[in-house]
Order: sequence, then C-alpha cells, then structure tokens
Amino acid sequence: MGDTKISPHSLAELKNTTDDALGNYLRGLKFEQDNTKLDVRLAIGYASVVIAAATFAADYKLGWEATKTWTAVAVVAYALLNGAFTYWMWAVEKGCVFDGVREGKKISVASKTKKHDPTYYLTVSSANSGSKQITAPFTTWFTADGYFVAKPFQQWLASSVEAIGNADSKNALRDERDEIASPSPEVELTPQGNGTAEASGTDGKAKGSKRSKRKG
Amino acid sequence: MFSALGNLQPRQLAAQILNFALVLSTAFMLWKGLSVFTNSSSPIVVVLSGSMEPAFQRGDLLFLWNRGQETQVGEIVVYNVRGKDIPIVHRVIRRFGGGSAPLQLLTKGDNNAADDTELYARGQSYLDRSKDVIGSVVGYVPFVGYVTILLSEYPWLKTAMLGFMALTVVLQRE
Repeated sequence: MGDTKISPHSLAELKNTTDDALGNYLRGLKFEQDNTKLDVRLAIGYASVVIAAATFAADYKLGWEATKTWTAVAVVAYALLNGAFTYWMWAVEKGCVFDGVREGKKISVASKTKKHDPTYYLTVSSANSGSKQITAPFTTWFTADGYFVAKPFQQWLASSVEAIGNADSKNALRDERDEIASPSPEVELTPQGNGTAEASGTDGKAKGSKRSKRKG
Repeated sequence: MFSALGNLQPRQLAAQILNFALVLSTAFMLWKGLSVFTNSSSPIVVVLSGSMEPAFQRGDLLFLWNRGQETQVGEIVVYNVRGKDIPIVHRVIRRFGGGSAPLQLLTKGDNNAADDTELYARGQSYLDRSKDVIGSVVGYVPFVGYVTILLSEYPWLKTAMLGFMALTVVLQRE
C-alpha cells in the first residue's frame, strides 16, 4: 500500500484507494481471491480489441473494396461483444471489488459511493450470513491531507464482518464487542462495576490492556 | 502519478490497458461501421483546397453517401485520382452512359477555370462512377475539419494527441 497521498476531495480516488486496500488486506488474511468475474470481462474486452485489430490489419493490407464484407461482419461482431462487455460490467460485476474463499467459506464484497457523499458503502455477502450492507465515512481511515491509514480501516472491516473478524482476531476487537453485546448465547456477560465499556468498534481507540473474560 | 500504476495487481493493469485499447478500437469500428453503412471507403472527408469556393471552403467537413449509382450532372462528388491517394471534391458537369452501361463522369471545380481533364491520370479522360468515385456529398459542417489539416501538416501533433489520450485514460480510474 505504501504511503501514497491522494486528493481527499476526489471521491473516485478515495474509493479506488480503499478498494485496493481492501483487496490487499483480504489477500493478506489468506482469502483466496476468485478472479472469474474480472477474467470474463478481460476476455470479452480483449476479444473485441483483437477483432478491431484484425479489421485494421486487413484494411491496411488489402484496401477497402476487398475487405468490405469482412468489415461489415466484424463491425456487427464488435458491437455484440461490446454490448456483452457493458452488460457484464453493469449486471454481473456490479461494483464487485473482491470475491474470495477462506476455509471453505465464500465471501463477496461490492463497493459503491454516492455523488457528493464521502461515505463508503460496502455490500458483503458471505456463505453463512447472507448479504449485509455496512457503511463508514472515508474520514475513518483517511487523514485530512489524503493519507490512507490501514489500522482503522482493518478494524472497521474486522468488527463489522463476521468472516473477516474470524480471520483477523486482533483487529476484530472481539473483547470490546463482547463487553457490550455478545453475539452468541454461550458467552456469559458479567456486569461491569464501573461501566467503562467503549461505545463502538469503529472508534479505533482499542485500549492496550487485556480484558480478561470473566466467567461466572 | 505513475506509482499508482505500480501498485496495481497485474489483472487490474490489464484492465486499465484494456480501457485505452477499447477507446481506440471503438473509434475505429465506428468509422468502419459508417463506411459500411454509406458503402464508401472514406465517408467523411475534409476539403483541402479552395477549388469549390464559394460552396465549400478549406477545412469544411463533408459527409458522403455512395449508394446512389445514378449520379446526376450538378452533384458534387469526391474522387481519388487513379494512383494517388488525395481525395478531390468537384462538381459533375457531364455524364456518359448510365443505366446498364457503366457510368462515366466529367468533373470541374466551381472555382477552377478548366475542367478536371488535367487532373486525371495520364490517359484518363473521365471518371468511372463505380471505380473512382468515393461518394456524393450529402451534407457538410463548415470549418470543423481544419484540425485534420493541421494534423497532416504537423504530423508530430498526431503523436502528441495520442500520447496525451493514452496517459489520461490509463491513469484515470473513474
């Protein structure tokens, strides 16, 4: 990821940098990336480019009259392939930034942004928990002058998405979460004497002290 | 700026290059599609000389249609002199043949004193409608074609324009 600075005013750059970081983070957590959607898009796209190049070469070598029929066929084929290309991007890929598998469980992440709204909208579908939308303002992991900070981004992802949290327990702030509301009935909550529980996982202010799980 | 490219995964780099390649190939295929539709090898031409003034000026963009084989006297046609690749835009002043016989045309520029017999290839004294003519003019846009004249008179402009386009498309990820 490096220390590349981007313009914090450009929504496109914010989204692209975040998308790239998400991919890098998940791959680092040993999620096996499934590139099928992108591969199909590249295949359709480059096939149409090859047809255009062949038409260009034929026209250059043999002239207009000789290649008229081939050119007509090629134009139609190109139009169809480009239509398929656009359809693929619009309907199938639909903002997908990561498709992967980890320990047999699939995860699919799609991102989007809305015009003039500096918020990152993520739709995560995983094998066991269906589809869920999580959002956070870009300011959570970007400094005011445009530097990306990995930690708060990873913490947000790990605490909001079960599958990622399972892979990265350090960032998942599980202890903090369990203090407030444990997701599974087996873990018993013991009442805190002084009510020092932190408000939310996206805060990023994880205290260094270990909290010991007290079992009743 | 370029470091952003270095951080990309190879597939994403391929996707960015594809974007640029698609811009070029779509532009080319649109041109070829128009060629097929009009049945003309060059459906849009730029007027290079003042020989058709005041009707057309240097730099005007002309739209051609090549599916009407019965060209009449008074129509403006674009033709290539046999052996040369320069399109000439002149008016038909005489026709011979037509119907079942091959159509032959004599042309002259409105602003020229003499007809085009001097311009034709050695031994050629008329145009063959089916072989020499690229199309008849069906419409025009004034002045817009001057860019093409500049690009052909200063060829480095072409490389500069292409290079600039490549840079913006490949580095842009919107």
